[in-house]
Amino acid sequence: MPIAETAHEAQGQANEEFRPKILAFCCNWCTYAGADLAGLNRMNYPADVKVLRVPCSGRVNPQHVLRALQDGCDGVLVCGCHPGDCHYSTGNYYAKRRMMVFKRLLEFEGLPPERFQIRWISGSEAGKFRDTIVQVTDDIKKLGPMAADEPSQAVVAALRAKEGEL
Amino acid sequence: MNDATQIVRERATALLADGTVAAVVGWAAGRGDHDRHVFVARTPEEAALLVADQYCGALAAKRVLSLLDEGKIALVARGCESRAVNRFMADRQLKRDQVHVIGWPCPGMLDPATGDALKRCTECQRRNPVLSDEVVGDPVPEPELDRFAELERFEQKTPEERRAFFQDMYESCIRCYACRNACPCCTCRVCFVDQERVGWMGEEFTADQARYYGTVRAFHTGDRCIECGECQRVCPQHLPLMLLMHKQVRDIDGLFGPYPGGGMEPEGPDPLRTYHTDDLEEFM
Amino acid sequence: MIISKDNMGALADAIGATQTVYVPGTERAATRFVAHKKGEPVVLGGANVRMPPKDLLFPATEKMYRWKKHEGQLSLETEAAAHEPFTVLGVRPCDMASVAKLDLVFLTKGFVDEFYQARRDAATFVAVTCVDPDGDCFCEAMGVRLDAAPAADVLLVDRGGAYEAKPQTEKGEAAVAAWAEALGAGADAAAGDAVEAHCTLNPAAAKAEERLRAEDFDNVWHSVADYCLTCGTCTFECPTCYCFDISQDVRADEGARFRCWDSCMFTQYTLMAGNHNPRADRASRVRQRFMHKLRYFADRYGEGLCVGCGRCIRDCPAGVDIAAIIDAVATAPEHELTEAARTVQADEAKKEAAHV
Repeated sequence: MPIAETAHEAQGQANEEFRPKILAFCCNWCTYAGADLAGLNRMNYPADVKVLRVPCSGRVNPQHVLRALQDGCDGVLVCGCHPGDCHYSTGNYYAKRRMMVFKRLLEFEGLPPERFQIRWISGSEAGKFRDTIVQVTDDIKKLGPMAADEPSQAVVAALRAKEGEL
Repeated sequence: MNDATQIVRERATALLADGTVAAVVGWAAGRGDHDRHVFVARTPEEAALLVADQYCGALAAKRVLSLLDEGKIALVARGCESRAVNRFMADRQLKRDQVHVIGWPCPGMLDPATGDALKRCTECQRRNPVLSDEVVGDPVPEPELDRFAELERFEQKTPEERRAFFQDMYESCIRCYACRNACPCCTCRVCFVDQERVGWMGEEFTADQARYYGTVRAFHTGDRCIECGECQRVCPQHLPLMLLMHKQVRDIDGLFGPYPGGGMEPEGPDPLRTYHTDDLEEFM
Repeated sequence: MIISKDNMGALADAIGATQTVYVPGTERAATRFVAHKKGEPVVLGGANVRMPPKDLLFPATEKMYRWKKHEGQLSLETEAAAHEPFTVLGVRPCDMASVAKLDLVFLTKGFVDEFYQARRDAATFVAVTCVDPDGDCFCEAMGVRLDAAPAADVLLVDRGGAYEAKPQTEKGEAAVAAWAEALGAGADAAAGDAVEAHCTLNPAAAKAEERLRAEDFDNVWHSVADYCLTCGTCTFECPTCYCFDISQDVRADEGARFRCWDSCMFTQYTLMAGNHNPRADRASRVRQRFMHKLRYFADRYGEGLCVGCGRCIRDCPAGVDIAAIIDAVATAPEHELTEAARTVQADEAKKEAAHV
């Protein structure tokens, strides 16, 4: 852990101008309305987040998340209605289970947890929407671009040295 | 000839002769002393070629699905094959009356090259068939083992080490799709990697594409995996694919459990195809 | 020129001073030809590498050209270019024979593949006679000799403790002359007789090819299809499988075309527009693979496509065994002629009757 953290910090400092690309999947019925409300209330939040409106958080195929991270996004945010408030009654419950397991799988493969986040934000929670965007952008800025996650040569060499032993 | 082979041949011959089944799925010997491959016997003469010994490493169950047009199929089923049958039924690929299960309490298989126990057998949590129409031989004692031991050792690594490890693994993947083709959970008519018009996958052989394939396939099967370990056995590059499966199974057990693992019951719902309103909340 | 086996590392270092030299090693979870690093030992004997040298000439993924649209103008930029010279050290006779077959595919019959040719021209192949055939090797049955590699630039003949380097082409002459200079006279070692070895596995390939021309073996293909997984392992590890697919990566108004290996084992391979698939079932794909290896290629180029390296047998997860299939075809009881063979026979009978 310490190695990774220092590497990220160094990256963060070297990239003061780094503007992350963050993709936010927002459910049409709650989070998107929340984002709308934030806009109506003239709340300021970083423009690094690209909002993608989806019918329901349950529609977000976990494959989209991985593809986004591979194709140039530095972070992905999936947002939906609070559990119990889904416009389709159950979509976000399914999404929750899926995302819980998929997030752990990606982290197991070494993805920093901050790069893939999930939040429930209702249509009235404009403030929460803004705070979430600010916090996620902040997290990703600290991490730097996806390329900063590349393991260091030392770690790769050490791994190669004990090849065969898992 | 060992007892199991003897009885399997006798039973297969009888089932084929009286027309109970159209074919028997088991194993037969190859050219080398310990070479075995999956074999479909359709006549009593062919039934005499069946073999059931410690070198039958391949999972035979999936072959049943491609034979259903021929009639009722008999399957020589160890713990893993019987779990696969449960899997097929839960996935609506097979009805119970389409298959005649000849249960075979599994002695644990050996690698024909080295003579060591097959890795997939050393992690097996259920060697006796979980369902059967008849059983060959006596039940074997179930192994007491921690199938997550390797996973726990692996989790000691730092995220950066794991990142390096998986980067290496996906660079090594040749994307032959043997794991998918062998997997009893992979029964989609059209796999996402073959959906060219949707374009999930790029065709180029890069670590990114391999990661996308490997991770997504693991996730698609994660909550249904019967932990037979066949994916890892068939991998020509010997990649540790079961790590991803064990990781998900253990997570599901911890988050939504208790979860005994896939294929233990003939009916779903599988953990990611259901929900409870009081599920753990961590995204608030 | 005689070079001691202990001096192989030094030889690789010497060649490596001016160009990349690929030697048998381990990388990405498999033994394969890897770029030699100065000072590392080089061993040419033992089991053959699991991945054949074909990707040095015909990479798994290869960019072909890029295109760009700018203000209504379309510009193309080819990726084909002369390749830096490189040497492959320690290729077995079976793999060398496979290179000769790839040459037939990519360089003859009136079409030259510029991407392949660039790499082929840049390559110097140093083959080594094979003294370690294992139980799955059957190259002799496929017309390959363990002690010869006609397509190689230089042949290293195993003479016990040393190799005798025999140049076979102009490129080889120059290479050996350069080695002699670099290694000096001290490299010469006392050499024994050439080591002789033979395959133990010897399927009846000629008989099988002949019978595949005249008869149907649907029963064989169906019985293999009963256990073949139709994964791509055999085709990707095969030193002579050369099928590829051309694909593109399109981003707004620019893009790149690339080609990548394809496998006749995959359902996508023959999938046509409108979703028709002439080889939708496993048996027809299995048939295609073996018919191509054992007959179709011979029809077109006068020699079979299998070199008997045994890779597909060793690494098949399902136990498909091409040697056993060759024998199964060769020894199958006589049965019905194929429709095509019947037509040919009828035509010949007609011609003969007309002649009389």
